[in-house]
Amino acid sequence: MTQANQQNGNETPVVYMENIVKRFGHVSALKGVDFEVRPREVMALLGDNGAGKSTLIKTLTGVHTPTSGQIYFEGKPVQIRNPHDARALGIETVYQDLALVNEMSIGRNFFLGREPTRQFVLLKLLDMKTIANQTRKSLADVGIRIRSATEKVGKLSGGERQSIAIGRAVHFGAKLLILDEPTSALSVAESRKVLDYTLNAKERGLSVIFITHNVHHVMAVADRYTVIRHAEKVGTYNKGEVTFDDISDLITGERLS
Amino acid sequence: MLKLFLSWFLVKVETGFKGEDTLSATKLSEKATTGNMLNLRSLLTESPMAPPLLTLIVGFILFSLFVPHFASMRTMTGIINAASINAIVVIGVTMLMISGEFDLSVGAMVAMGGYIFASMTLDGGSPAVAVIATLAVTAVMGGINGWLTIGTGIPSFIVTLGTRSIYRAAVWIVSGGGMLQAAEKLPIYEMFSGRLDLINNLFERANFRTVTIWALLLGLLLQLVLTRTRFGNQVFATGGNPGAAMAQGVKTKLVKLISFTLTGFLAGVAGIMTFSQFTTVFVATATNLELTAIASAVVGGTLLTGGVGSIIGGLIGILIINMLRTGVVLLGLPSDNFEAIVGVAIIGAAIINEYIRRRS
Repeated sequence: MTQANQQNGNETPVVYMENIVKRFGHVSALKGVDFEVRPREVMALLGDNGAGKSTLIKTLTGVHTPTSGQIYFEGKPVQIRNPHDARALGIETVYQDLALVNEMSIGRNFFLGREPTRQFVLLKLLDMKTIANQTRKSLADVGIRIRSATEKVGKLSGGERQSIAIGRAVHFGAKLLILDEPTSALSVAESRKVLDYTLNAKERGLSVIFITHNVHHVMAVADRYTVIRHAEKVGTYNKGEVTFDDISDLITGERLS
Repeated sequence: MLKLFLSWFLVKVETGFKGEDTLSATKLSEKATTGNMLNLRSLLTESPMAPPLLTLIVGFILFSLFVPHFASMRTMTGIINAASINAIVVIGVTMLMISGEFDLSVGAMVAMGGYIFASMTLDGGSPAVAVIATLAVTAVMGGINGWLTIGTGIPSFIVTLGTRSIYRAAVWIVSGGGMLQAAEKLPIYEMFSGRLDLINNLFERANFRTVTIWALLLGLLLQLVLTRTRFGNQVFATGGNPGAAMAQGVKTKLVKLISFTLTGFLAGVAGIMTFSQFTTVFVATATNLELTAIASAVVGGTLLTGGVGSIIGGLIGILIINMLRTGVVLLGLPSDNFEAIVGVAIIGAAIINEYIRRRS
């Protein structure tokens, strides 16, 4: 089995994380991990629970700051101190449970944090018409059909919720989309939809990091795989280079790289 | 007998929802036009104020039928007057609860506001300066609650349980323990809670006060802020799913800090209204108001866990609680039963609200 070479990698990576170390007290969560995502690729980030994949992603999204190491975004060294910095760069994350507010409508969720307003006497009021129309139109653009933007998110299925969160990130111009276990809680049919939207995002020029501990969920869409185990990177592999069994073994450590 | 009556009342309220379909449908018809064909059930859940409104109407009809002298202008204005000052506190508490936090110190802040406003106006100072100073102090007190909650990460329930005692002690220190009383009604008092003769002259035996107009204006304004502004949208998101809100760039700590400060500000307004109406303030003014305020919010459809609720619902909630209290008095039951009635109302409302929310 060969490590992924640099073919198709002549373009500047969207993100390059170099020798990332993260320690919590005397526990090493990351022991010098290199990680790279190229333009318009779906990178699967695989590892067992507690392997360190979440910690790695959280240093990229500003939830954690690395103890040492450097992150480059589109070739430039960057400091990502908080989620705001990550968003400003164009890094959007769709968390499994933290994507949408169930008690709020689809439209209000879609524009949360960037609500369009219009002046009304002394108050700036929400532009409800724009919210309703724009939400429906934008989601339709990425292939997601909704009945009404005023419908509560809590009434939707898990897959529909994930899809709307992905559609929102794509619409608001993300360059790098991070999906954190997007299919773990979904039925097979619903997972398929989410995978379709993932490919749709790639076709629109985005790069995607697809985090999962289940290889099944990502085989259909991933261009490359990065496997993390015990706070270290096992390796990065191209699609077609490795079989399903190879990757499963690498995740569990039954086979070493 | 009371228990029997109340259980029957609650059953009536529940079955009453089906009987009152057309009413709620017409009240909320403008909602239906914005979306697709929404059914009644989603109308009830879309608008958290629909269930308490039905409770108020059904309760009023029942009391009118069975309680002597209930359906009179005198009784109704009495209920509304008793609710109006507290309603101003309920507005802030409801907003804060939707953002996911509590404030148990509002009663002490009302008393503090009353003292500051009273002493400054009784000294012959400018009423405008007195109002501004009062509201500044109580807003800062509310802000301190927020700052402590956000800064320490301790639940606001605990933080404000502490400041509830601290602020009450501060009232004691500021006042020296004495009562303040106005010998004459200054024009500023009349403006805030004088008789509303313009309307009273229209109805026989009516006794409306200006404070009701203030409470309604503040309620409508903050309902608009809550449902139709960027800040309001972020209040719902902060209470409903703080993680999701933060991930979208919502500054949840700032949203909470503003909500705490607003709650203190409105408690100050209520303090000003209290002194304007009764022309007295003492250390024990507005004791236990915090529980009535939370009860009103819950009866009005606000969830204790945050993310769901409405200001208008909270105002209806305080009306329901005052209606029950008045009804108990007019029935000739011992006044010890007041609190039991409020307790039954809270639990009953919580059950009904949860039932309707889940059925959606």
